[in-house]
Amino acid sequence: MLIQRDPHSPGPVPAIFQDPHSRDPISRTPISRDPHFEDFHFQDPHPPDPPVSIPIPDPPVPVPIPDPPLPIPPVPIPIPEIPLSRSPSSLFLQAALSNLTRKRGAASYAHTLQNIPETQVTTLENGLRVASEESHQPTCTVGVFIEAGSRYEDAKTNGAGFFVEHMAFKGTKKRPGSAFEKEVESLGAHLNGYTSREQTAFYIKAFSKDMPKVVELLSDLVQNCALEDSQIEKERGIILQELKETDSNLTDVTFDYLHATAYQGTALAHTVEGTTENIKKLTRADLASYVDIHFKAPRMVLAAAGGISHRELVDAAKQHFTGASFEYKAKGSVPDLPRCRFTGSEIRARDDALPLAHIALAVEGPGWADPDNVVLNVANAIIGRYDRTFGGGKNQSSRLAALAAEHKLCHSFEPFNTSYSDTGLFGFHFVSDPLSIDDMMFCAQGEWMRLCTSATESEVTRAKNYLRNAMVAQLDGTTRVCENIGSHLLHYGRRIPLEEWDARISAVDAKMVRDVCSKYIYDKCPAIAAVGPIEQLLDYNRIRSSMYWIRL
Amino acid sequence: MESYPDFGTTFTHYSRNATEVVSFEMHASVLYLPVVSSAVPFRAAPASVRCVHNDVAVPDFSAYRRHDVQDANASSQGSSDSRKGFSYLMTAATGVATAYVAKNVVTQFISSLSASADVLALSKIEIKLSDIPEGKNMAFKWRGKPLFVRHRTQAEISQEAEVDVSQLRDPQHDLDRVQKPEWVILVGVCTHLGCVPIANAGDYGGYYCPCHGSHYDASGRIRKGPAPLNLEVPVYQFVGDDTVVVG
Repeated sequence: MLIQRDPHSPGPVPAIFQDPHSRDPISRTPISRDPHFEDFHFQDPHPPDPPVSIPIPDPPVPVPIPDPPLPIPPVPIPIPEIPLSRSPSSLFLQAALSNLTRKRGAASYAHTLQNIPETQVTTLENGLRVASEESHQPTCTVGVFIEAGSRYEDAKTNGAGFFVEHMAFKGTKKRPGSAFEKEVESLGAHLNGYTSREQTAFYIKAFSKDMPKVVELLSDLVQNCALEDSQIEKERGIILQELKETDSNLTDVTFDYLHATAYQGTALAHTVEGTTENIKKLTRADLASYVDIHFKAPRMVLAAAGGISHRELVDAAKQHFTGASFEYKAKGSVPDLPRCRFTGSEIRARDDALPLAHIALAVEGPGWADPDNVVLNVANAIIGRYDRTFGGGKNQSSRLAALAAEHKLCHSFEPFNTSYSDTGLFGFHFVSDPLSIDDMMFCAQGEWMRLCTSATESEVTRAKNYLRNAMVAQLDGTTRVCENIGSHLLHYGRRIPLEEWDARISAVDAKMVRDVCSKYIYDKCPAIAAVGPIEQLLDYNRIRSSMYWIRL
Repeated sequence: MESYPDFGTTFTHYSRNATEVVSFEMHASVLYLPVVSSAVPFRAAPASVRCVHNDVAVPDFSAYRRHDVQDANASSQGSSDSRKGFSYLMTAATGVATAYVAKNVVTQFISSLSASADVLALSKIEIKLSDIPEGKNMAFKWRGKPLFVRHRTQAEISQEAEVDVSQLRDPQHDLDRVQKPEWVILVGVCTHLGCVPIANAGDYGGYYCPCHGSHYDASGRIRKGPAPLNLEVPVYQFVGDDTVVVG
């Protein structure tokens, strides 16, 4: 399975973590406000890899790992059942990692994981969480991650969050107009942000020495957004233009449709950008009230990664974020996040003039903190991904990819496991020619059934290794680490260290994969979204019937 | 600039699934985007209407939803088993009922190819016993063959009972060949080569076959002559006092 290298990107993004329909620019092209920074990527200057002939010494180990003084107890702790918001006991983690010390190469992996500096978290008095991971680099990324998004909007205010994100870079009360962006530029820093269904983030990549200034800029952005009327009017047209552009990205359209049908009648059905009617009608008052309700200190995380010290970060946060509001005035105005009902259903946008069909199929998955997510990610690693640029031809390790390559079933496919706070979508998406839809769907659903009934140990082992690799590889760069910290604190309430991910992944076996897959997939009603020349996509009853096998 | 009608999506139909599915289709007119001059302030009425995928709203299917999934703020997982169970139960019950009906229809059609009622009626014959006086042998046509019904006298009965079974070519006691001793019912076909024996003829007071000289007694057993077996006794049943149904 290849991790494709885009020569222009700062590094490979393990494909398993490319959430195709998230707004997170870490895994997708960011919606950059300032085209000047379009091609400007911060290369965190790592020491270059030495030539292969020189053996790389193991990094210094502050804590030696000898043979454990006590016999390692057999692990009775049901780690697969511990939710991700709680840490399993350190004894288990030690036991899991010490299994790796048998091999020399693996010893340095275990050492490396243990040597990653711990994420330090401080909570200010107003509830703002400040978290950072120090890594002695000249650059850093500091971001504010807010629990706000389109899920918190209703039909009338849908699009407010996205609008606010657009307005955020258009000036604050202290730095009106373009003064804000100019100040960011003058630091040589890079400002970006994204809004998704449950999360909004603004982050700045800058030199480590500029961290206090960056914190001040972020606090200004988040607390003092100007929301000038003239800018709002100008921005309407720009957003509508942006909507028109995203309409041609059929993958995004497919996933928006998937949400619209899977969560019909609930807040998760809303698109992040909002409807054209709302974009035309939202007033300054709506945007201000959105900011007022959602940008509260207890719902924000100030995360940072790079060459910054936690103490200094907390000092800067105390200085600038103390004023962040943490109270709701009226009693009933605390926003509530009710459960969103999943509906097995379908939405078909047929257009025979388009060359390729985009199809996404998903069943309801678990929320963020559910430990089943680890197993489902292993399952997705078994399913693998594919597109026509893969060089292996029919010699892919993923069965489905091998079939797809050999019989030209699709142009590309990928599985996904999107999580929200209490629900999720677990499924796959593929792009194919109009006449291969049926075959691809047959093979993909067949693969699902095979996983539910007969996933084998060898493929689970391979998938676990791939997942371990992906989890570690995705954390290259301060921006990725910062985003990781912010997201984890919002989703899990704590940063889950790589050690623990490794232990949780190690605990997965084939039986667990079969059981968990059956729990979510077998004989469940899926949600289907299809765009393009989709005549060959069979009707819902047929697809629903392929979600089980006739067997005892 | 052309002006397009003010709708972007056409809901062609929505269909209901047996379980919890709702679906709808829309035509792709939504993807043919007419141009909108976005620089025009939106207080003026636009010359054409843009439609984007964000504007597609899934219709409200509450009227079709089952009770357990009406609430948009409750998880549908909890009721999933019971909803599926109900659907599968209905399917299974309908399947059983359909199989029953289908089996009946099919057997009705196929059984119409078998013998019709008039043919079946010929297979049985009802004989009124009071028409046959004692000592008389009456012959009927039955299934294309002669049927002998003989009302035996007491003398004939006792005579046949006294015959030594071990001396017979086809040993059978008289009482094994009759249900009521005074009535002997036989198929009148000689077991030699199929001629019809003559009643009240022959050396043994029974039947004589003129073709090759087989002599049968009053019980229809072969006594002399080339025939190997006794005259066949058909299946018969006495119904009431006066009637016997043969066949």
